[in-house]
Amino acid sequence: MRVLVLEDETKVGCFIKRALEEESYAVDLCEDGAKGLEMALATNYDLLVVDVMLPSMSGLDVLKNVRRERIHTPVLILSAQSQIDQRVKGLDAGADDYLTKPFAIDELLARVRALLRRGASESPGILQVDDLVLNPATRDVTRGGQRIELTLKEYALLEYLMRHTGRVLTRPMISEHVWNQDFDTFTNVIDVYVNYLRNKIDRGRTKKLIHTIRGSGYMLKVD
Amino acid sequence: MPLRVRLTLWYGTALALVLIVFSVVLYVITARSLRDTVDESLEETATTAVRSLEARGFLPLIDDDELLSQFPELTRIDKFFQIFSPSGTITIRSPNIQQHEVPLSATALDAAFAGQSIFESAKYPKEPPLRLISVPIMYRGNLLYIVQVGTSMESVGETLQRFLVLLIVAIPIALAVSLAGGWFLAGRALRPVDKITLAAQRIAAGDLSQRLSMPAAHDEIGRLAATFNNMIGRLDTSFRQIRQFTSDASHELRTPLTVMKGETDLVLRRPRPLEDYQSVLESNLEEIDRMTRIVDELLFLSRADMGEIKMELLPIAMEALVEDVHRQAMVLAQDRTIEVVLGTVMPAVVQGDDLRLRELLLNLVENAMKYSHAGGKVEISLLNDGREARLSVTDHGIGIAPDDHKKIFHRFFRTDVARAHTKKGTGLGLAICAWIADLHKGRVEVKSDLGQGSTFTVILPIASPTA
Repeated sequence: MRVLVLEDETKVGCFIKRALEEESYAVDLCEDGAKGLEMALATNYDLLVVDVMLPSMSGLDVLKNVRRERIHTPVLILSAQSQIDQRVKGLDAGADDYLTKPFAIDELLARVRALLRRGASESPGILQVDDLVLNPATRDVTRGGQRIELTLKEYALLEYLMRHTGRVLTRPMISEHVWNQDFDTFTNVIDVYVNYLRNKIDRGRTKKLIHTIRGSGYMLKVD
Repeated sequence: MPLRVRLTLWYGTALALVLIVFSVVLYVITARSLRDTVDESLEETATTAVRSLEARGFLPLIDDDELLSQFPELTRIDKFFQIFSPSGTITIRSPNIQQHEVPLSATALDAAFAGQSIFESAKYPKEPPLRLISVPIMYRGNLLYIVQVGTSMESVGETLQRFLVLLIVAIPIALAVSLAGGWFLAGRALRPVDKITLAAQRIAAGDLSQRLSMPAAHDEIGRLAATFNNMIGRLDTSFRQIRQFTSDASHELRTPLTVMKGETDLVLRRPRPLEDYQSVLESNLEEIDRMTRIVDELLFLSRADMGEIKMELLPIAMEALVEDVHRQAMVLAQDRTIEVVLGTVMPAVVQGDDLRLRELLLNLVENAMKYSHAGGKVEISLLNDGREARLSVTDHGIGIAPDDHKKIFHRFFRTDVARAHTKKGTGLGLAICAWIADLHKGRVEVKSDLGQGSTFTVILPIASPTA
């Protein structure tokens, strides 16, 4: 899951980025409104976290522009203003949720999870494909009741695959949603990570879930 | 009691008094003028009678027929006629009084002996009141006869009575009509006041954006409404300013709180290397310093607003102060690779508070350093044209767009460029500078453009030598 954080207060932006990264999200951070809008329009993010007060363009204007381009990515507004009319303004501009500063990291993460859930489908919090189960809240992954230990990147990759079960996911799509902008697309890192996942999930099982689609990418499905 | 009722009552009472006084006066005058008319007519008749007697050598008439032929006016039914001897006994009287006894009063007799005519009113039981004139007839100083002419006052009485009834009926009616009119007029005059009250209640309920609809007429009510609107407008502005200020202040305080809470929260989520905790504590310390600075400056401004900042105004040699601050600034500039230099410094003495003026200048110099690029130069200069001291701080840093020149003195306002340039700064420094300058009857001017650097000039009046 790839997240864009627009926050001009450097320290705040940094700890949000770090908190999200520790939850295996790929995070891009931007301190400027207009530049943030460019990024939001150029990349297919899964979630935008936007501060209201931004230099060059306010968070609300960024949000309005994003919605005008018919991009329905979930947006979480961060603001130091807690008055009701401010929240209403934010939600009316097209935000999906509103969080007042200062906030608890747990609440931020819970809201992020909730928004990502909403973005994917009406699915419940827990993702399941056949006997493979992934719980985004606890980040527990089990197959056939057996716990599987994954690294952050492996987890992020699996979550992305599971949220798009039955669809072909190209390497650019995967890199866009699982890695942040610092990622170099021309390496075979994706293939390496898919192999790691295969080893942990499909190895030694008769029913394979991760499939290579020759010439395009990968797909998670039940045969 | 509502104003409308009071107005009507006052008006009614005044009107009733006027009507009553007017009626009494009118009644008295009418009564008197009616009586005067009767008296004139009596006197005329009496004079005629006396003249007839004179013509006859003052011999009294004997019989009634002769009497009637001599005095044709006596045939008129409304007057009677009597002639008394000086002893007061009746010598002769007109036929229309034969059945009644109307004796000569003692007063009339006394007046007759004094040779004077006299009018009298007389009242006998079961009879209408009479009006009498008694005229003495003198011959060579002796009283010969007394001629008395009388008439009934019945018709006069009736007239007056009718008049009285008319007044008694008409006054309450007139009063009632006037009261109704007064009630209506008072209501009409007071309706705009009611409207203003209602609107004021709505506004008092919290909606300061509302205004009274102005009556078209530029009368007392119109002026009241205008004054009221003016007041609401000013309240609205100051409320909005306070709200803006509170919201800005809470925003500025929330940012360091967010950092402290977020970083601490994050680092405590799982065991981490020691350096992580250390860096969070260091960062928290920075934020605490930032909050302390904001709170200190807010406190200064709010005390300044309340008029609690007392200043000791003494003659101050500004050139010495400038050199002091320059030394201080050079120390601060050492680790920032910024050069602080003195330009022209002319001697100037102003009436001021040494500590505040130092704070003002240091604030400006610190700002200049904060918004300079690395290796930049800040220049302090002091000019004196005999009337004003011009204390300038010039930098070649990020500059300020002309649109923002006014706003930078607003509390908590920081330009986007300034925010992007440094996280330090509370947005309160220039507001404080402006305050200090203001307290010295001076002002702060700014000359700047984006990317062109800025010159802040504090203009202070020179202390007059006599002061």
